[in-house]
Amino acid sequence: MGSLRVAVDTGGTFTDVFVLDDETGESRVGKVPSTPDDPGRAVLEAAKAVGVDLKDVVLFSHGTTVATNALITRNFPPAAMVTTKGFRDVIEIRDGTKNDLWDAYKDVAGPYIKRRDRYDVTERIDFEGNELEALDENEARVLAGRLRKKGVKTVAVCFANSYANGAHEKRMKEILTEELPGVRISTSSEVLPEIFEHDRFNTTVANAVLAPLVGDYVAKLSTNLELGGYKGDLLLLHSGGGSMTPRMVQKYAARIAASGIAAGAIACRHLATAAGFPNAIGLDMGGTSTDITLVYGGEVRITKEWSVEYGYPICFPSIEVMTIGAGGGSLAWIDPAGSLRNGPQSAGATPGPACYGTGGVNPTNTDANVVLNRLGTSLVGGAMTLSPDLARSAIEQGVAQPFNMSVEDAALAVVKVANANMADAVRLVSIRRGYDPREFVLVAFGGAGALHGAALARELSIPTVLVPPNPGVTSALGCLLVDIRHDLSVMYQKSLGAADPAEMEGLYQTMEAEASAHLKLEGVAPDQVLLERTAAMRYLGQWRSLTVAVGAGSEALGEAVARFHREHAREFSYSREDAPIEIYQLGLRAIGLTPKPKLAKQDPVAAELPVPKSVREVWFEAEGIGSAVPIATPVYERAELLPGMGARGPAVIDQLDATTVVPPHTSWKIDANWNILIQIEEVSA
Amino acid sequence: MTTTIEPKQKTVLDPVTFEVLKNSFTTSVDLMSEQILRTCHSFVIYARDFSCALVDAKGNTVMQGSQDVAVHVGTLHFGAQAILKRFEGDIHPGDIFGVNDPYSGGTHFNDVRIVRPIFSEDELIAFAMSMGHWSDVGGTVPGSFDVNAKEHFGEGFRMVPVKLWDRGVFRQDVAELIVANTRAAEANLGDMHAQAEATGVCERDIHRLVDKYGKDTIVTAFEEVQDYVERLTRKRISELPDGEWETSDYIDFDPAFGEGLIPVNVRMTITGDQIHYDLSKSAPAVSSFLNSGFGASFSGVVAGTKTFFPDIPLNSGFYRAITCDLGPEGTVVNAGWPIAVTGFCSGPYEKIMSAIFELWSGIMPERAIACSFNLEYLLIGGRDARTENKPYFMWYDWMVGGWGGRNGKDGANCTSPLFGVGLAVQPFEGQERLTPVITSKHEIVTDSGGPGRYRGGCGVEKGGMLTNSERSVMSYCCDRSRNVAWGIAGGLPSTPHGVWMNKGLPAEKYLGAVFSNVPIQNGDTFTRPSAGGGGYGDPLLRPAAEVLEDVIDAYVSITRAAIDYGVVVTEIDADLDEYEVDEEATKSMRASIAAKRTSWLSEDAQEIAERYRSGELSDLDLIRQYGVIVDWGTGELFPKTTGQFRELLRKRSVEYWKAPA
Repeated sequence: MGSLRVAVDTGGTFTDVFVLDDETGESRVGKVPSTPDDPGRAVLEAAKAVGVDLKDVVLFSHGTTVATNALITRNFPPAAMVTTKGFRDVIEIRDGTKNDLWDAYKDVAGPYIKRRDRYDVTERIDFEGNELEALDENEARVLAGRLRKKGVKTVAVCFANSYANGAHEKRMKEILTEELPGVRISTSSEVLPEIFEHDRFNTTVANAVLAPLVGDYVAKLSTNLELGGYKGDLLLLHSGGGSMTPRMVQKYAARIAASGIAAGAIACRHLATAAGFPNAIGLDMGGTSTDITLVYGGEVRITKEWSVEYGYPICFPSIEVMTIGAGGGSLAWIDPAGSLRNGPQSAGATPGPACYGTGGVNPTNTDANVVLNRLGTSLVGGAMTLSPDLARSAIEQGVAQPFNMSVEDAALAVVKVANANMADAVRLVSIRRGYDPREFVLVAFGGAGALHGAALARELSIPTVLVPPNPGVTSALGCLLVDIRHDLSVMYQKSLGAADPAEMEGLYQTMEAEASAHLKLEGVAPDQVLLERTAAMRYLGQWRSLTVAVGAGSEALGEAVARFHREHAREFSYSREDAPIEIYQLGLRAIGLTPKPKLAKQDPVAAELPVPKSVREVWFEAEGIGSAVPIATPVYERAELLPGMGARGPAVIDQLDATTVVPPHTSWKIDANWNILIQIEEVSA
Repeated sequence: MTTTIEPKQKTVLDPVTFEVLKNSFTTSVDLMSEQILRTCHSFVIYARDFSCALVDAKGNTVMQGSQDVAVHVGTLHFGAQAILKRFEGDIHPGDIFGVNDPYSGGTHFNDVRIVRPIFSEDELIAFAMSMGHWSDVGGTVPGSFDVNAKEHFGEGFRMVPVKLWDRGVFRQDVAELIVANTRAAEANLGDMHAQAEATGVCERDIHRLVDKYGKDTIVTAFEEVQDYVERLTRKRISELPDGEWETSDYIDFDPAFGEGLIPVNVRMTITGDQIHYDLSKSAPAVSSFLNSGFGASFSGVVAGTKTFFPDIPLNSGFYRAITCDLGPEGTVVNAGWPIAVTGFCSGPYEKIMSAIFELWSGIMPERAIACSFNLEYLLIGGRDARTENKPYFMWYDWMVGGWGGRNGKDGANCTSPLFGVGLAVQPFEGQERLTPVITSKHEIVTDSGGPGRYRGGCGVEKGGMLTNSERSVMSYCCDRSRNVAWGIAGGLPSTPHGVWMNKGLPAEKYLGAVFSNVPIQNGDTFTRPSAGGGGYGDPLLRPAAEVLEDVIDAYVSITRAAIDYGVVVTEIDADLDEYEVDEEATKSMRASIAAKRTSWLSEDAQEIAERYRSGELSDLDLIRQYGVIVDWGTGELFPKTTGQFRELLRKRSVEYWKAPA
């Protein structure tokens, strides 16, 4: 019997693997190039690259961008939508808005299914679920014949008010199944039984277009893992931060639309909680963008307003991730009115930052970090060499000369503007929501997170920065940590006075039965099942609701209401205790606990720091004057640092997949979990 | 609105502090938007008909919200200025003001601004403003949209600047006086609180910045952010040629005269780095509510211009580079008290924007765009008889439509109006719960896009049936039933707006594009289309393959592919979406249209109207081929309107058609 847990996270450029041996507590990490033509190949190669024999694996989990990429590239098999007569264009009409308010030449992308492939049939249900017009079965069969003739592989069935009564959709599905054997059918009342046609229809359409591709992908990967000797279920990370088995993916393909993005947030939560921080802000900074997430009280924030592209919401609960165009490759530029800007344009992989020597001439954040000597000239263990001269000349021509500054001051300005943009984004997810950054730890990861983390923390008054042991493969770690999770919901629109506790109890129990059945099929033992009831509420007349936990027993509703007032006050700085309340929706989180890995841990001991591998002049901002000054800074190899070691800044800590910059006026240490913790000291502004 | 301030060439603040604060101010304002979206009560605010701003102590806008609706831009600072004027020396920490007055720079009575002064110690340094559309503010009809109102007394209550909170104490009596004059007292009270709390979020954020950077730096940054925008704007203007341009767009008619298009005239002059707009030759105020106060008209000027400079942030720096002469009071674009103005958004506002689009399309052909559909609101109000207590209900609906064809790109289908592309339409499933109205259709209208080399975007149709109500009436606020959304550079117009009751039934009735208080009974059906956008360029030059694609998606019918584009498409297998272009027939059809089309615009309009009444010609034939405008219900000819419409077609379309080969 083996003891390995393997997590593989597929990204755009690399596929990362994180392996943990449950018996020894040892971990291994690796990276192989992604294989976009057949993403599953890199998944297997990644496991092989770190010497994993699938026979020794007890749990294989996986985060993937297969679904996200398919949605972005519109790479779907022939698909069709069937809807109520008169509503063929709901998904094209959307809510009418554009994300770019002023540029009349920028459009919202087209819907996932073109107009020519959208059909309607006669039927109608009213808002209470009563039948206004029966489903015309003759029409339905004629339509099925047409879809067969067209060679459609997957169909979304989306009828008006089906959240109140799904009978017509169910019948339509039966007819299509009879007439079109082998074709996948998604109905909106199964996929997302919630009010509001565009949200429900589009989520169902996304599910339908992804079903064949994602279904086949997970089936093939499962088979290959099984052939290799793996006996368990492949677990796929879904957008909500839990995982699901291939069986459920076949039905809810769109739930893994944000699979790859969720992993980083999960890892952030785990690392922070393990280190004793219930509140954390995750900063996952890569080459072209930065993903920011927030963990509060040990929970990630979940949103139901999520989309891959503007206008096409996928309304499954998804981890809230804010992505901004700020990464190592983001360009520094000067706008026509003479203001220094940073991003969102990026040098990307080609031409890349100037210092890569691959043709880029415009200054990037990476170039600025090289000029400031924060980033060494040898990366990835010597596999990549950066040119300080090219970095310098890019900063000089692009920024220093126009502003009549020294090159180092210019580089510092570039980094500060980049940090300010990231700080604004962090403010939007924290202060905007009523969270005080001073109560948080900043978890800095991704290729560039640890370069900027400490400065960003100072800007935001965040007291501590946590740099995990393997910043570059942190997302893969996230895949290793998730439980199986399903989110169910049912509409329940009633004023508090009209709410019937017995009726609510019945609805909760129905959901609990359905969720338990799912988890049982997935092989979760009953004692490993957690069921959490929730209710979405609002002040009568408000349009958005807040979701709060609901306990059991006769006092449950009253307690939930008290919780609602408190949450409203925390989130929006006010509550109206005397205002009437309305319930909007009941929900259930069903969690199948998977055994948690024990990550390496070592009690800190007082130990001498190793001799720095070098000492170099790193440029930092001089206090109070805003210009850059060189400070002799020791450079350590991370592998040589043990729990308990630490010192005051400055320092630079190098490792294969990242560089950590510890500025002056901070102290750092390695904690029991092998994280670097940087403590920001108060400085006078 | 005039200025001679020389913009500073450089900032006093270092580049990093400046960039950080500039972005921070945007965040401070967007924080308000985020909060108001999550806490509002009015479904109109929820649909994003709101805006927020940070205004300096002199009443100049430092930053406007990045997601605000277009229709409010350029107006928020007028609200702060009205408060400064009224309460000079009597503004204290903890005060919060309200104002909705269109005659002091507001838009219409529904748009209520809640304004919180921000102090640093004892010094007033700024105002945080939250403006939101309350769903009802009294007046004759539910929703406060009375087309027939001639004076503001019929439209709703007028809130001149008033203190709602006095040094932190809520003035319950004042608030109750206000909401007691509306049909939505509870919701309005909820929004008063929600908006006031939202401005508190902005205040806290500005205080944070003051603590960190010091008051002087922040106040300096307020100035410099405006200087920055002014500098950016002037630089861009100075790169354009000097000159003078003029055009008019038109409101359909003035009920006092029956027919004849009513001009909104715009003359634009660029001199060096300054743009001047002169709207003073626009028509006298009309006898419906399609008039505009000076604030809303200035907003149209700003929003129209801004569309051609999409990347420039909006604040008073932008307004300094743009001057505007609206002429004396009493016109459609400068209606003084007490002329009715609630319909400004469907009337002069969109005409100002569209006229400015046309002017700029000539100056920046790479951003050219034809006319888009008109903002429209359909309101049905009465008592909901589905429950015993029969509460008031309001089915208050607006639609997306088609935007104009562009240079190199078809117009956008199904997009929110010029009024603000952030304005979201409501899901009918929500409406069906809240009101006794069942939606029967929400669908793209085939052939609604104006033909052109680049087709106008498609409009949609939404209709329904009243089920179980009492004493219900219907009102409609729209325009462009006669001055149909036009094409440019040779493109053709799209489709007329207007509401039909019981369409296709014996009791069919065409109600037009502006009416109010029309009784509607249980079981009555109604429907209306939104227009498509006008076309860009000669439709005979649109490649047949592109017309074929449109036919496959039924954006264009086979019939009109032939009439409008001269492209003859034959069906092979509709089940498989297989159609093909008959190349030979297309060639001769195109030649025939090219030879005759100019003369169609001179055919006897009475005869054409008769052929419409007999069913031989369709509304689209009249509009696109003959330039004839009639009452779409009765077929009665509007001779004066037709004459004007034909002139416009000659100017915008015929001018650009090459002589037949």
